[in-house]
Amino acid sequence: MSTGRLSRLCLFYLCWLAFSAQAIDRIEIHADQVSHPAAQLENFSGTLDMDGRWRGKATLKQGDAAQLAREYPLPVAVSKGTVRGTAEFSGEQRELRQLKGDLFLKDAAFSDEAGLHAGEKVDLHLDATAMRDGNRWRWSGRLDGTNGEVFWQPLYLAKVDIGFQGRGWLSDAALAVEQGRLSMGGVGAATLTATLHRPDNRLAALDVSAENLDMGGAYAGVLKPFLEKTMLGNLEMAGRTDVRVGMRESELKSFDVALRDFDVEDMNGKFAFYKVNAHIPWALNDVTQAVLQYGGGHLLKMRLGPTDLAATLNGYSLTTPVLRLPILDGTLTLTDVSAAFLQNQWHWHLGAALSPISMADFSHAVGWPAMDGKLAAGIPMVTYTNGMMTMDGAMGLDIFDGSITVDRLALQNPLGLAPRFQADIHMRNLDLDLLTRTFSFGAMTGRLDGDVNNLVLSRWQPEQFDASFRSSPGRYPKKISQRAVENISALGGAGAAAAIQRSFLRFFKEFNYSKIGLSCKLRKGVCQMDGVEPAKEGYVIVKGSGVPAITVLGYNHSVSWGELLSRLQRVTQGNTAPIIK
Amino acid sequence: MKKYLYAITFLLAALTAMPAAIAAADLEINTPAIAAIQGSMQARHGQLAPYYASGAVGLTRDGLVAVRDANAVPLKDRQGVNSLVAAENKDRNALYKEIANANGHPEWESEVRNTFAQRWVQKAQGGWWYQDAGGGWAKK
Repeated sequence: MSTGRLSRLCLFYLCWLAFSAQAIDRIEIHADQVSHPAAQLENFSGTLDMDGRWRGKATLKQGDAAQLAREYPLPVAVSKGTVRGTAEFSGEQRELRQLKGDLFLKDAAFSDEAGLHAGEKVDLHLDATAMRDGNRWRWSGRLDGTNGEVFWQPLYLAKVDIGFQGRGWLSDAALAVEQGRLSMGGVGAATLTATLHRPDNRLAALDVSAENLDMGGAYAGVLKPFLEKTMLGNLEMAGRTDVRVGMRESELKSFDVALRDFDVEDMNGKFAFYKVNAHIPWALNDVTQAVLQYGGGHLLKMRLGPTDLAATLNGYSLTTPVLRLPILDGTLTLTDVSAAFLQNQWHWHLGAALSPISMADFSHAVGWPAMDGKLAAGIPMVTYTNGMMTMDGAMGLDIFDGSITVDRLALQNPLGLAPRFQADIHMRNLDLDLLTRTFSFGAMTGRLDGDVNNLVLSRWQPEQFDASFRSSPGRYPKKISQRAVENISALGGAGAAAAIQRSFLRFFKEFNYSKIGLSCKLRKGVCQMDGVEPAKEGYVIVKGSGVPAITVLGYNHSVSWGELLSRLQRVTQGNTAPIIK
Repeated sequence: MKKYLYAITFLLAALTAMPAAIAAADLEINTPAIAAIQGSMQARHGQLAPYYASGAVGLTRDGLVAVRDANAVPLKDRQGVNSLVAAENKDRNALYKEIANANGHPEWESEVRNTFAQRWVQKAQGGWWYQDAGGGWAKK
């Protein structure tokens, strides 16, 4: 950067000598030292012949980078640093023809006004040549950054270790890199060609190709700053990748990514994929086939088995007839998958089926109470568009030896701050024995039906629902343990528990019942409760039958939801004495 | 502790203050979405406060925040500040929109924004930077 200024300085000396000399065919000058306010020059030499050709050479012993930089229109202001090196230049008449510099910039600090492109303690070495070729300058050379700390929004390099080698040309209209090689310590190297429009530095064309990049280094050094605050902002990666990217007029036209034995793990524990091998070619205006395999991993703590996926990419859309994902001891099968990224938003639809997985595995994986049995599910079609996920048809779940169907499901802003979930849920024939064991409620034998209609969850908290649970129709053994009676009484807010304790009933651990029922209509934080039938005061929750029989009553029709939740919590947390008013 | 007290006081004061500009709009209106946004902003305020104090981040006249002088932040933290500012502005934009929606007048959004912009500045601590009506930066 100082060579331009130097050449002007030298030219001045040469011209002055040329005009003041007479009857000679060649002028040579030499100066041991030349002083410039910002620089110390040594061994300055120059020649000028009478045809007007001139050339010169100088050694820059010590230059003040801050002062020298002030004379050039750089995108950043240099506040500190020294320059040393050599420069050679030649020209004809008033025109500079060739310039060669070998310059070392040491301990430099620079920044733009906003501080978004800044560096400190930066060491750079530039070894470059430029030659005039008609209206253009042809250039070649290399630039190595060997030390320092740089923030070039959004990239941050804690320790600069980058190199660029290349050749190309520069004109008033464009800057071209005909051949370039960019390397970064700990990541690898890429070859590239590029053309920038001038003077606005808009990208006209860019083709980058890199092989065998170290993904661990690439993520930490290059990718992470772009992904901060996203789901991919706290990962660890290992493995190798080949990447090709093509851009035209600042728009991405094609890329081709190949992953080899790639491992990725989310440090927040949400997911991990191991032994990933993939080939994903993509082109804006072309149809391509992508494949992705992985050896294993986990998603939300659920174990993933070896998986082989394929999809058709067509510009900003993806389609595939089927994706099979082994998960726990079953398989999640996604069918008729179609996704598109339009106007900065994702739109997709798919069908899904989960072949039976062991509830023991599933409940353990998601941190629920240990459950027995199998879970299977089917979703006819889910559609996501404009931030809203909706389901066509009902989702079926086989669980607790019965079934649960979820109908009219809609989910708004699933990833936003305030997701809103709506659904109708119907439960049929659930085995009470399995259910009560799972949630340590106190043993009950029998079958339960339930409906939760008009359910609205806002931020996953119930805002409203119409819930009712009751004994399933049909003949089957119906028993309720003393503890369950106490717990149900506690839920009702008052009840028969005290009566049990006071009466002969305390000698029985188990009672018969003919039906159970409890309903709650939640509106504005208050639950309107009811049972299987009205009683003199309140309502019947458990209606006894046979010997020994017991009837449990509820008295409060109106209970605050918060109060009900804390009661339920006390009851299921292994509790003890229910609170009886 | 003191820092959090400031943060909470600042937020509560700004959120609950009755606006002079639109007496009809209820700025105290509460919905789960508004509560969520406020919670998210409150959680972030502790991280942003030092940058308000150092002048790295200032309050803009349109009720948002902006990186005013990144040079006041060490190089390694600058992208972090950019991300904080982007996240804060996402919340602020959502807050103004939600409050207008909750009032049943989505078209009030810009008035809600303007009222909040004034409130944020009034409630800012001394030494913080804000944009005046002309868009220039001033120190409180």
